[in-house]
Amino acid sequence: MSSSKQNIKKKVKQHIPKDWLTELRIVYRITMETFNDIKRTGIVNIVIITTMAAILTIFGALFRTGLTVSSFAHELGSVLEISVYLKQNADPRDASQQINRLEHVQRVKIIPKESSWKDLKREIDIPDIENPLPDTLHVKVDKAENINSVFANIKKVHGVADMNYAAELAKKIQFLNQVVNTTTVFVVIIVAILTITIINNTIQLVIQSRKEEIEIMRLMGVSNWYIKIPLIMQGALYGFLGATFALIPLNFVENTLNNVHKFFLIPSPLFAGNIVVTTMFFLGILFGAGGSFLSIKKHLQV
Amino acid sequence: MIQLRSITKKYKNSYALKNVNLDILSGEFVFVTGASGAGKSTLMKLLYKEEIPTSGTVMIGGINIANLPSEKVPNLRRCMGIVFQDYKLLQNQSVYDNVAYVIRTLGISTKEINARVLGALKVVGLSDKIKAKPTELSGGEQQRVSIARAIVNGPPLLIADEPTGNLDPKNSMEVMQILDQINQRGITVIVSTHDSAMVDYFRKRVITLEGGEVVRDIQAGTYEQ
Repeated sequence: MSSSKQNIKKKVKQHIPKDWLTELRIVYRITMETFNDIKRTGIVNIVIITTMAAILTIFGALFRTGLTVSSFAHELGSVLEISVYLKQNADPRDASQQINRLEHVQRVKIIPKESSWKDLKREIDIPDIENPLPDTLHVKVDKAENINSVFANIKKVHGVADMNYAAELAKKIQFLNQVVNTTTVFVVIIVAILTITIINNTIQLVIQSRKEEIEIMRLMGVSNWYIKIPLIMQGALYGFLGATFALIPLNFVENTLNNVHKFFLIPSPLFAGNIVVTTMFFLGILFGAGGSFLSIKKHLQV
Repeated sequence: MIQLRSITKKYKNSYALKNVNLDILSGEFVFVTGASGAGKSTLMKLLYKEEIPTSGTVMIGGINIANLPSEKVPNLRRCMGIVFQDYKLLQNQSVYDNVAYVIRTLGISTKEINARVLGALKVVGLSDKIKAKPTELSGGEQQRVSIARAIVNGPPLLIADEPTGNLDPKNSMEVMQILDQINQRGITVIVSTHDSAMVDYFRKRVITLEGGEVVRDIQAGTYEQ
């Protein structure tokens, strides 16, 4: 066996506890302590888990709606195009190639002036005069927020006479995206404050009610982490259970939004439901454990 | 086993202990006596690091526990048994669970826990009360549970702070006899007390504190001299 393989084996061995059964028993005892703590908290558990579920439902619903709004905005943004009108003597192929090389340009479509004239004549009754229309390029941009910069760069391209795009619509889409992003951040902050405060107060009550017991444990030489970990796990479990119960109303929100997507023929964002559920569980557990940790730091002197 | 050197403990403006120097050998039985406020409890608390000396060193087994980091304190306490005047039992748990509590946190197997707990309860004569709750026991029995909990981990040192303070003479005698039996097994026993009858009966080493100072240290002594 090569020396590098032996080193890896050595390192792996270092990470395996000498007596894994002892470690396993400690994990089991800590888990049992956590459930005992929850049992002792009694009816208050229902209040906490329901409140956590309500907060996480609001978060989940807003987050999922945000993803839908974003996908709508993206879809609207994708139909935005810049119409570029070329000078009479300009070569449309040359201009098209130059614009295609610009950053954020997805594709360029040449509309020959003959084709434009034919379309116009079909729409309105025009006397038989010489075609006054220029060759036109339809430029598609990758994202709505990049349309301004692409617009500015096209201006510099040789042969461009004039151009326009739905500036107001682009601005609104950009604004909508910003609102969605800001609201999501704001909601996450509110969820963090609320869950941490609730768990913090609950664990404080648990610590107060077990003050004498914790004092005895401490005096008898029970490790600090053995006293603390069940309380942190209790907070995390509240977050987990809150998120689990929040799945019921969120399922309704998910179905409703999927119907909205179907109605407007806009595809639902990929894995939207999974993203929302994963984030909700992650934040519930994180803020639950965090609230508990803060409470322990403040109220438990071991 | 225990060496106290120039120990002073000051609370705001008053001294609980003043320049205390002591040596306690392994396997000794020591009574620490003195009136209320003489510094007995402070001395005991220094031994399990519930208090930190203002100055001086507390050496136990060659380690200065005054410098022991806080995360190591549980390890220190698991190496000794502590018995309190008010028993400090978990009221909602059975006698068995009270005694088993600390060793359960160490990840010891159920079989081993069972053997140790039953062994400790046999020493204190409570084998028939394993399922009882502390509230169903007399004061003397509760103190015996507390002693069983203190010895269940097989410590080399047992510290008892006024173990008979809440007990009648009969129960006090029973508790002291158990502590004496434990000492005969080679465990160092330090008992703080102002129960003169017990001190006079057992005739062990007596350290007397007065105003935070050691005023008397006599082998096979009595309460008064």
